[in-house]
Amino acid sequence: MKVAVHRGLYDPDDGVPVLLGTRCDACGSTFFPPLGVGCEVCGAGPDQLGSTAIAATGVLHSVATVHLYHGDDIAAPFAIGEVQLDAGPLIRCTLAEPLDLDAIGRRVEGHWVVARVDADGNEVIEPRFALIGDAAAGAGAS
Amino acid sequence: MTRTLRDLRPVRVVGVGLHPYQKPGDTPYTALGVHAVRAALADAGLAWVDIESAYTGTATTAMGMSRLMYRHLGATGIPMAQVENASASGSTAFRQACIDVAAGLVDIAIAVGVDKPLKIAMPQGPAGVRDLSGSRVAPFTHFALLANRYIYEYGATPEQLALVAVKNSRNGALNPHAQRQRARTLEEVLAPPLISGPLTRLQCCPVGEGAAAAIVASDDAIRRLRLDAARAVRVLSSASRSQTVYRGENFDAALTRETTKMALDDAGITPGDLDVVELHDAFTIEELLYIEAMGLAPAGQAAADLAEGQFDIGGRVAVSTSGGLLSMGHPIGPTGVGQICEITAQLRGEAGPRQHPGARTGLAHMVGVGAVCVVHVLSTSA
Repeated sequence: MKVAVHRGLYDPDDGVPVLLGTRCDACGSTFFPPLGVGCEVCGAGPDQLGSTAIAATGVLHSVATVHLYHGDDIAAPFAIGEVQLDAGPLIRCTLAEPLDLDAIGRRVEGHWVVARVDADGNEVIEPRFALIGDAAAGAGAS
Repeated sequence: MTRTLRDLRPVRVVGVGLHPYQKPGDTPYTALGVHAVRAALADAGLAWVDIESAYTGTATTAMGMSRLMYRHLGATGIPMAQVENASASGSTAFRQACIDVAAGLVDIAIAVGVDKPLKIAMPQGPAGVRDLSGSRVAPFTHFALLANRYIYEYGATPEQLALVAVKNSRNGALNPHAQRQRARTLEEVLAPPLISGPLTRLQCCPVGEGAAAAIVASDDAIRRLRLDAARAVRVLSSASRSQTVYRGENFDAALTRETTKMALDDAGITPGDLDVVELHDAFTIEELLYIEAMGLAPAGQAAADLAEGQFDIGGRVAVSTSGGLLSMGHPIGPTGVGQICEITAQLRGEAGPRQHPGARTGLAHMVGVGAVCVVHVLSTSA
């Protein structure tokens, strides 16, 4: 069984990562991470906000390799990317592997990666982003 | 009809004082704060009984902390309140004190920034906001991403980025209130430990403890109490804004651009009129981004201008003469008030070895998690 690292942000049973965002019916804005209380652009209430599926594809806006980290969910060094999703939102995400600055501006997509296996034997998975066509991406999950 | 600060009666800084910024220790916040208040009172030639309202900029210590501190100066019963606005807490406290005086609610008010880094908590968790990066993107990684984007976009180099810390460490070495008082070479700044992206340890500000105080007064009070009018510094404008939707543009820079423009317009001046600037340089990249956002250099030009010495003491416009957050330190609540102390000292010509020649107009800028931005313009003008 697969379990999401970030509950509510994607369905771990999808074949490829799809992000669960919010669309405002009043102004047409798309958000990720999702908003539930009100629209940041026009202030519309929750009755105007609906869930929307967002493709985990976009353009790499920036990268950084993190060397100092006190959490225990991933070992430093690891890489963080800023991705301008095709659907509009600019998000921050973990990269499958570090990328040089010359990768900025290139297309990336999310791949499932097994972050850990929990005590019940479930695969705890999350999307990590890699350059489209990068053969190494997604090697950690099936 | 709304009015700006300059449309109301003049507000002037008449006294400033600091407790040195330092590594977290056992000193009670009350002792830190009272030390700064007493220094500001002595600087102004005032007694505590002359103060009519007090605002305490704080974000990381405890709730309800003002009275427990001010009682050590004599419990006069004045109105007092804590002002929390993340890194801009002290700046916002100063703004509130200025508004009190400008509106005629009081003649003399004090803004005090004081903090110990006891409970630093971000709002996303309680707000129910979750994203894909979570705790993996600490503030230094937020700015490492901006740094790499800047390097990619403008062809700047990691060495040019590090020169911000070299300059500010040189200034901090001249400041007895700075937490870091050692001038660093480029090699030292670039040396490990690496923190995130191109940022090394010395390109990230220290978060410690300390206090700063600034007393503002009306012209009525200056005359009535026979304060030294020649040392009083006019607060020309006070601008405060919060983040809107920028569609992918760097919000820290966009917010700085908007808020600084408002402050400069309200003051009736242009970026070229500024002599000294204290800005939110918690990480080296911020100084470059904000210099450009303020209009002090074209986009992509700040790194080269800095390397030429244009932002040095004695340069075109002196930036972070105090050492900035990178060297003076960033104890959160005090930081914004400490900037006012530095600008005031510069405009009075009392900054000693770090005096920028001919300083007549200065700007203080802080951003805060949220995001918010607060900018003040001070001047020797009447």
